[in-house]
Amino acid sequence: MIQNLPWLFLVLPLLVAAIDWVIFHKCPKTAATLSILSALGTFALCIAYLTGWQTGTADIYTWMPTGSAATSLHLGLTMDELAMRMMLVVTGIGLLVHIFSIGYMKGDNSNLSRYFAGLSIFMFSMSTIVLADNLAMTFIGWEMVGFSSYLLIGHWFHKASAADAAKKAFITNRVGDFGFLLGILLTLGVFGTLTFDKMGTAAAGVAPCLLTVTVICLFCGAIGKSAQFPLHVWLPDAMEGPTPVSALIHAATMVAAGVYMMVRLQISMGTEVFTETARMVIATVGAITAVMAAIIATQQDDIKRVLAYSTLSQLGYMVMAVGLLAGEAAMFHLYTHAWFKALLFLGAGAVIVCCHHEQDIWKMGGLARRMPVTVLCFLMGTFALIAVPGFSGFFSKEAILDAAVVKHPTFFWIGVGVAVLTTFYMTRLCLVAFFGPARAHGAAEAREASPSMLLPLLALAVMAIISGYGFVADYLVPAKGFHAHGFHFGFTFYVSLGALVLGLLAAVVIYGFGKRSADPLSNNFISTALRKRLYIDAIYDKGLVGGLQQCGAHIIEFIDSALIRGLLVQGSAWLVRCIGVLLSRIQCGSLRAYSCVAGLGLLIIIVLIAL
Amino acid sequence: MNDIATYCSATYTWAQFTPAFILIGVAAVLLMADTFIKALPKRAYAVTAALSVLLVGCYTVSGEHTNAYSFLACLATGLSILVAYDYTKVSCASIAGGTSDEGTGEFYALPLVACAGILCLTQAADLIMIFVSLEVVTLTSYVLAGYFRRNQGSIEAGIKYLVLGAMSTGILVFGAAWYFGMTGTFILDSDVVIKTLSGSVASGTVAIGFLMSVALLFLGAFFKVGAAPMHVWIPDVYQGAPTPTTTFLAVASKTAGFALLCALVVPFRSKLLAIPGTHVADMLVNVFAVVAGATLLIGNLGALFQSNAKRLLGYSSIGQAGFILVFFLNLNPPDFLKISEHLSGPVEVLTYKYLLAYTLATVAAFFAIAMVRTQRGSEEISAFRGLGKTNPRTAFLIVVSFASLAGVPLTMGFMVKMASFFALVGAMQSWTYLVWLLPIMILTATAGFYYYFKIIRAMYWEKPQSGDKPLCVPFCTACVMTACAIALIVLGTWPLLTAFK
Repeated sequence: MIQNLPWLFLVLPLLVAAIDWVIFHKCPKTAATLSILSALGTFALCIAYLTGWQTGTADIYTWMPTGSAATSLHLGLTMDELAMRMMLVVTGIGLLVHIFSIGYMKGDNSNLSRYFAGLSIFMFSMSTIVLADNLAMTFIGWEMVGFSSYLLIGHWFHKASAADAAKKAFITNRVGDFGFLLGILLTLGVFGTLTFDKMGTAAAGVAPCLLTVTVICLFCGAIGKSAQFPLHVWLPDAMEGPTPVSALIHAATMVAAGVYMMVRLQISMGTEVFTETARMVIATVGAITAVMAAIIATQQDDIKRVLAYSTLSQLGYMVMAVGLLAGEAAMFHLYTHAWFKALLFLGAGAVIVCCHHEQDIWKMGGLARRMPVTVLCFLMGTFALIAVPGFSGFFSKEAILDAAVVKHPTFFWIGVGVAVLTTFYMTRLCLVAFFGPARAHGAAEAREASPSMLLPLLALAVMAIISGYGFVADYLVPAKGFHAHGFHFGFTFYVSLGALVLGLLAAVVIYGFGKRSADPLSNNFISTALRKRLYIDAIYDKGLVGGLQQCGAHIIEFIDSALIRGLLVQGSAWLVRCIGVLLSRIQCGSLRAYSCVAGLGLLIIIVLIAL
Repeated sequence: MNDIATYCSATYTWAQFTPAFILIGVAAVLLMADTFIKALPKRAYAVTAALSVLLVGCYTVSGEHTNAYSFLACLATGLSILVAYDYTKVSCASIAGGTSDEGTGEFYALPLVACAGILCLTQAADLIMIFVSLEVVTLTSYVLAGYFRRNQGSIEAGIKYLVLGAMSTGILVFGAAWYFGMTGTFILDSDVVIKTLSGSVASGTVAIGFLMSVALLFLGAFFKVGAAPMHVWIPDVYQGAPTPTTTFLAVASKTAGFALLCALVVPFRSKLLAIPGTHVADMLVNVFAVVAGATLLIGNLGALFQSNAKRLLGYSSIGQAGFILVFFLNLNPPDFLKISEHLSGPVEVLTYKYLLAYTLATVAAFFAIAMVRTQRGSEEISAFRGLGKTNPRTAFLIVVSFASLAGVPLTMGFMVKMASFFALVGAMQSWTYLVWLLPIMILTATAGFYYYFKIIRAMYWEKPQSGDKPLCVPFCTACVMTACAIALIVLGTWPLLTAFK
């Protein structure tokens, strides 16, 4: 019984999702309460396990036996520090987002039972990824989070843009998942098992080339789920979903799953499996994403899109750290980022609600006076993000930069550049949205957010400040035996402080304190390019979707109509029909014909025996 | 004298036949009552007959001479009598004419006699007992098939069944004669088989006469189970015979056929004979593979274009027999295939499981056909139109039974069909060339989805016509269909649940 208790992490939210969906379809209040209770339950369970209560292993169930233990598919849970502390992030932020959702979704006419059922299904799927003890189970969770993300992005599906964004997210992830699935199969081939614990030494003597391909294929999954270049296009569009969803799924937890999975693989496969080539590919993809997203973020006007690109950029940071074999630093940043980015998104959500669902920062302004607590919390998150010394993000970013400077200086300077840009766009956002006069009707009428929204904000603000310090981080960072080194006044510190100051100064000089009513940097070629997301989406649209699809459509049309429909489907149907008609003809009702058939059959069987 | 008797035929105890005697006794009492006590309503006979045969079924399970086939035969007979119970409107009109129930009493009592025959068959260990008990079943069935004397189709069915059945009996007796000639005994036993074969091998002659006798005996059994080439009677007889009789033929008579077939192959399961490379083993596998392939194709492809529900179920019973015959390719199942205890086992156990799934689903289907025939006057598939709208609950029960016949997962039909595929895979370990049967099985299983879903399509996709009233579901029909649906789902999901750990 006690061994089965950890399964509650999965069973509870799944059960609640089903109950919400099926029974309380029409009672949003009950559905919301149940979902919150399930989030609370898993959170409490997580804390119980973290405080040393019966940590151990959960029973393993064989799901699909294939005859050999290695290739059979199992359902099992890992309960190590990495998983359990990650669960704390997932359930903790999950719980706060559930609570925040009550205030945020108030007055929404859509079906709230569906919304909360979606949240619970997400909690189930994310827990599956985190607790999975083998890659097959990870993949199940991987697809399930994709599905729940699809449901929640498309929550307001009557809006065409939301429905399209949901589809885009789902389909883009398919591309990455295809690679991931290949990677899983390669892993099974190379390591002979999918269970993380058993991969240990299995790869000795395998050709490095094969290892590279395996790792890169697995990384494809992370590219899709963690929205790395070139599959990053879905994440900004995913902001069409309700803001709490963006906070939970598209900032704190699901998009970090790629990083978590890569770190989990590094631990279980051993870092030597990550060949030089594979490492460079991973770090480069991360660096490109980090830089590109940060540049694009500087010219976004939608508050959620700025944050979305910022998420992309920070994920790029983490992936870069994974590529530099600094898994601990990556997980540290993942953990601090989860708290402060969730804070930023929820803060943005509160701002959006209070401004009557206005998302354009140029139509805000002066919010610092009207909703001081929310803005203060948002500023705490900003400080953590731009790595003001003393805030959580500072420690984790420092950890990554420290690792980079030792391993590969190029990536260090890229990191610093991204830090400048990060400071610049976040300062721009805060200056424009919170200071100066209100530039629109909605902003002028803004009031402080309701308590159910403020409470999670305050809780997250506390975490955004303190979570980087050793006395918290040592116990909560999802990494085995993590020990926060703090920071020391050295080369890295001075450079990143310089980056911070540079970014701040640039933003203040250009945007003042919110006095401007339009972006002085806009209306030029570069700004247009950035606003059009460097035309990447357009290229995909025209080149891939348009060209490839048109070209592919002709080929597929041929295969479909001539080969499959013509030959296989209609051909076989024709053949079967002919045989069927023939057989029915034999059953003509004539007794003589019947005896004849039976007699012939008798002869055939006797001949068969004589042979 | 005594020596010869023990040598020619097996020894039996009276206790083995107690259930059969009980049934004969009840049948005799009912027939007497039918003749001499006119006042009793005839439906009371149906209730008595059904209850007694179901109770005997329970007794066969609990009794000393436990035999799963006896239980199945009793269950099938009891349920087919219950079909007759809800079919009185049609039977009255087809027997005495009008609404008089004159002469319907025997119709309820005779299945008991047939069932007694099956119970004897399951205890049989020699060919004489097999022949006698089989004749009890068959002769009763002739009468039952032609019982609706005011219905031309029923009379035609009776005659066709009689002629073709007589032919098959002839073949069986011919085979028994050859068997006695080659072995000097009627006892079906592996020692006898081994002795005969090794003697012929020692003398350098192939025991062609012995193999011939075996082939003829199999052909006699193929007639009962409806396997090619002896399937020819099925479509016409199933369509023409009264629906309760069709039910009896489809489930109880088929059970008898497979009990017989199992009894015939068991002597060949000794270790000597089932070793690949032995001529006899190859011969048996070849015959069963060809027969199973032909049966699958004829049953399932022939069913594709049927519009009459009873004829469709006739072809379906041929097709399902094909899937069961695949079990016979694998007389000694290899150990490594024991993925789940529910999917492997000796041939008679697997056959029994398949028959149970088939019986539950088919009986429910015939209850539905009888109900539609009584109230809408037609046995065509189109008569099921719009039931999804007018009788949603009953329609769902019908869906469960047809889904199980087609082999939809989570029903028992899926589990047993999967077992059939596993049996072929197991046989392919020894006889690789049997792989040709696999595409046929896949094709025919797919075809099954097409024709079984024709009924489901008629119920849900076709709109009810203006005059269609909701069907009034008789109590007995509702109970049995619900019980069958629950059993199919429980037995289909339970193995999955228990296999999970």
